[in-house]
Amino acid sequence: MKKFNVVGKPVTRQDAYEKATGTALYADDYTFPGMLYGVMVRVPASHAIIDRIDYSAVAGNPAVTAIVDHNDIPAQKKVGPIKQDQPIFSWEKIVTPGDVVAMLVGQNETELLQLRDKVSVEFTALPVLTDPLKSMDPDAPRIHPQYENNAIVHYPLRKGDPEKGFAESDYIIEQTYTTQFIEHGYIEPEAVIAIPLGKAKGVKILGSIQNPHTTRKVVALVLGLPLTKVRVVQAEMGGSFGGKDDQMNILSARAAVAAVKTNRPVKIRFNREESILESYKRHPYHMHYKVGFTNEGKLKSMRIHITADGGAYASMSPFVTWRTVVQATGPYEVENVFTDVHAVYTNNPYTGAMRGFGSPQPIFAQEQIMDEIALKLGMSPLQIREINGFKTGSVTASGQKLDNHEVNLSTVINKAVEETNFVEKWQKNQKDNADVAKQLNFANDSEANQFILTKDQLIAPDKTWRKGIGLAASYRGCSLGAEGIDVTSAYLSVQLDGSAYLLCGLAENGQGLRTTFCIVAAEILGLTVDKIFYLEQDTAIAPDSGPTVASRSTLMGGGAVRNAAETIRERMVRSVADEWKVSADSITFANNTVSSSENNKSVTFADACGITYKHKENLATIGFYQAPEVSWEEETGQGSAYFTYVYGCQIAEITVNIATGQVYVEKVTAVHDPGTVLNLQGALGQVYGGVTQGVGYGIWEEISVHNGKIREMNLDQYLLPTSKEIDDITAIFIEGKDEHGAWGAKSLGEPTLELGAAAVANAIQNATGTRFYHNPINLEEILLNRKLYPEDLKRGSL
Amino acid sequence: MIAQFEVLAPKTIQEALQLISGNPRAKILAGGTDVITGFHQGSSRFIDTTTLIDINHIPEMHAITETDSHIVIGAGTPFTHIVENPGVIKYFPLLAESCSVIGSLQIRNRATIGGNFINNAPCADSVPALLVYEAKIRIQSAISDREMPLADFLVKPYKTQLKPDEIVTEVILTKFDDGYKGNFYKLGRRRGVAISRLTIAVFGKVENDIITDIRIASGAVTPIGMRIAELEQKLIGKPANDDSLKEAAIELGKIILEKTGIRWSAPYKLPVMQQVCYQQLHTLVFGKE
Repeated sequence: MKKFNVVGKPVTRQDAYEKATGTALYADDYTFPGMLYGVMVRVPASHAIIDRIDYSAVAGNPAVTAIVDHNDIPAQKKVGPIKQDQPIFSWEKIVTPGDVVAMLVGQNETELLQLRDKVSVEFTALPVLTDPLKSMDPDAPRIHPQYENNAIVHYPLRKGDPEKGFAESDYIIEQTYTTQFIEHGYIEPEAVIAIPLGKAKGVKILGSIQNPHTTRKVVALVLGLPLTKVRVVQAEMGGSFGGKDDQMNILSARAAVAAVKTNRPVKIRFNREESILESYKRHPYHMHYKVGFTNEGKLKSMRIHITADGGAYASMSPFVTWRTVVQATGPYEVENVFTDVHAVYTNNPYTGAMRGFGSPQPIFAQEQIMDEIALKLGMSPLQIREINGFKTGSVTASGQKLDNHEVNLSTVINKAVEETNFVEKWQKNQKDNADVAKQLNFANDSEANQFILTKDQLIAPDKTWRKGIGLAASYRGCSLGAEGIDVTSAYLSVQLDGSAYLLCGLAENGQGLRTTFCIVAAEILGLTVDKIFYLEQDTAIAPDSGPTVASRSTLMGGGAVRNAAETIRERMVRSVADEWKVSADSITFANNTVSSSENNKSVTFADACGITYKHKENLATIGFYQAPEVSWEEETGQGSAYFTYVYGCQIAEITVNIATGQVYVEKVTAVHDPGTVLNLQGALGQVYGGVTQGVGYGIWEEISVHNGKIREMNLDQYLLPTSKEIDDITAIFIEGKDEHGAWGAKSLGEPTLELGAAAVANAIQNATGTRFYHNPINLEEILLNRKLYPEDLKRGSL
Repeated sequence: MIAQFEVLAPKTIQEALQLISGNPRAKILAGGTDVITGFHQGSSRFIDTTTLIDINHIPEMHAITETDSHIVIGAGTPFTHIVENPGVIKYFPLLAESCSVIGSLQIRNRATIGGNFINNAPCADSVPALLVYEAKIRIQSAISDREMPLADFLVKPYKTQLKPDEIVTEVILTKFDDGYKGNFYKLGRRRGVAISRLTIAVFGKVENDIITDIRIASGAVTPIGMRIAELEQKLIGKPANDDSLKEAAIELGKIILEKTGIRWSAPYKLPVMQQVCYQQLHTLVFGKE
């Protein structure tokens, strides 16, 4: 492997000082002269026809500078990445409680918040559809009457002959798993400002925006402006996790419409309740798996039916569920596969992109099934994965042969297993905890309650704490795959003093790509990272590089930055070699100097820039990177879905209190193969954060919905994991040698999140002898095998 | 959203008492962890408040003093000080423990012991420990000065005997003889910043294998933190064996069911309260493994 000067070494994060000292500027920190605020007007309904909106109670009020609704939209009134089904302002129907019919705009936000309830909206309530499994019933309420039914998308995958496979199986397991709505929980709620620049220049948007180029496209469509007249600048981001995409596009469009109407800057900012109310969530999945296998543990056939609750709008459902159909069988060879993934409309909060993007759900199901098969055959979870796991040359469910990259599945699994002494612990726990299943002994009637215990049900303190260890493994396609065009660009401009501007079209969302990209450029140009100044994200400067999603930044952006830096380097080599009359091969770049081994001459990098300038070479360039070819056949779900893959294994070690259902997570060992680690501390941060979010998904986090309305409207009820929840996270990187991007650096962000819930679920089985099928596995799930919810949404403290 | 209000910052208790006297729209601001969030939520309990009297500048309000027989804690003492106080740790360990698991460190640096029981949420974590220690509180106004057991002060959720012109100034704890032992258990959904699902404090004495004194207090599972006197009476004088403890735990379930009726959380909380009660009594009587 290449010897690096900067890559893989700890470096100071580009934005560390500002963030640690509280001086970083987030969208809500900006104010502009004459700035107004926009406050949302909603309707207390989950599904209704809007009959009439009466503004008379607020129209004359001096606090209200303008009332903005759909009538003010000059061009496109509904938007969406695939289906244009989501109105900027609703005018025909309300399809979920987050919907907005109008916005009051004025100088005093507090007064507007008091006035908004005075807008009178007359509406006719419609039947509310909350169960995605009923959405395709013939008599189901139609969410969007312009479509013939409530289907958002259907992906089939057909491989081999599943029925023949089941006939050849010695055992068949059939099981249903469910997962919940998840809130992103970015620490900074939504904030955006639209600034009108006059007819000639259009509008500028400054906000907490994940994908500035997408926002630009949406705002331009809504205002009927060319892309060049919508300039989107990204403020510092307080977290996104996939959540500041559609949501911010729509808020930006609302602010822009108001800014154009009033000819003044307009800010929209949400508090936590409003953020949870309107923003999209991770999809709840209903997953039915039927798996056939032999006495020897070989998987023969899988039949999978998945229904994803898309909620009120299509949003990213077609992309999210596509990743699901590709990866639903897990990193295992299965000859015969029949998979149907459906996403459907309901009146629930809409669902879209969230870190993981269609993988945490099937992994929760499929990794538990692998353990169930092992238990059924008296094997260990390791053995069953050894038998079926992908190796070089394996063929995926979509018929893709894995032969163009290192298939590190067994490497990551074995490393995690060795590191934790997994097999021995798992076997011991399985034996020690054999008595617990009887203790939990759920009533068959799920509603039957036993309030008063009998003496023999009481558990002595020395019997109450049970150890469990659980393993989960995955493979994940890197970047967009066959879901979209996969190209990136990066702008690099070296200055005559040896410093350099860098900007990629992908956005810094807190993941640290500014630092990672500076590392890539610094490595190639022989600079220290502090010489590179990363510019703020601005659609007027950076070329559109597609969305900052799919754990693609390091891979795709790294490729573009590398290309840019190599271009500049070649020009500098040419110039310096010419100046010194030495061969190009003799020139090296390191430690802010440029040297030749031929004449033992050395100049500062800045002087080398001077030489290059003198030789009339351009010190600025735009680098470009394009992903290799991928393919997909819609009808059969066959094709080379992604051009390369990463593999991961996480092992959770827990203790369960079987008297209370409490789960304590003591250690998570996370082994990933992200290719080359460019930004070491950034990579560690991804693991710590992803593991914590994954465990949170498995135990605490849940948005529950009652008649379309969310119960958990703030972070006192929506339980994010705190820094105290996991005692120890051990991160281990297996560095492979892929050829893509910057020295084969691949994906890490989402792989770290997708395994936690499944590993914890398997550990809980190991601790309790009991399998739980419904995420999250919280206190009630463990003791009662179901969830409990309060009957009303009122709080006692009010 | 917070409307405008006046904030006063007296330097002495007397000054604070004068300020609150005759001003029914004034409220005391100690840590602010209930008051400020209450404002934000538009809570009916704070809707009429126009004045906040900040007691943080009154030294006596956050002093912990120890004598041979007592520890007196200023009602405005933040939990962090209580958790770190050697006298509290030595003589009232259940209080130290229960205060140490409230909210987060940042919350414990602000939130006060007095605020915990004056707010009187069902889940106030320090209350069960204070109840088994039979804490008394001192309540002052410009014209009165009275003491009462904390148990009598707590009326119902978010309601106490505090009158509009009064301030709770002290929590008074009487030391116990060496024979007493106790345990506290808090069950939350997560480890950090957890609102209790249930809490229990048990405190008592076993002599010659007989339970000669026992105090049991619950929180979060009952409408407010409270002693379970009926259960204590049944247990006192019983042999300190597994069977008595099991009977007591089951009895507790019945008593709580009687007090609270079947709430949405009952299918979980009632059985778990019996488990936790049994385990805490078990540990009290037989010691830790």
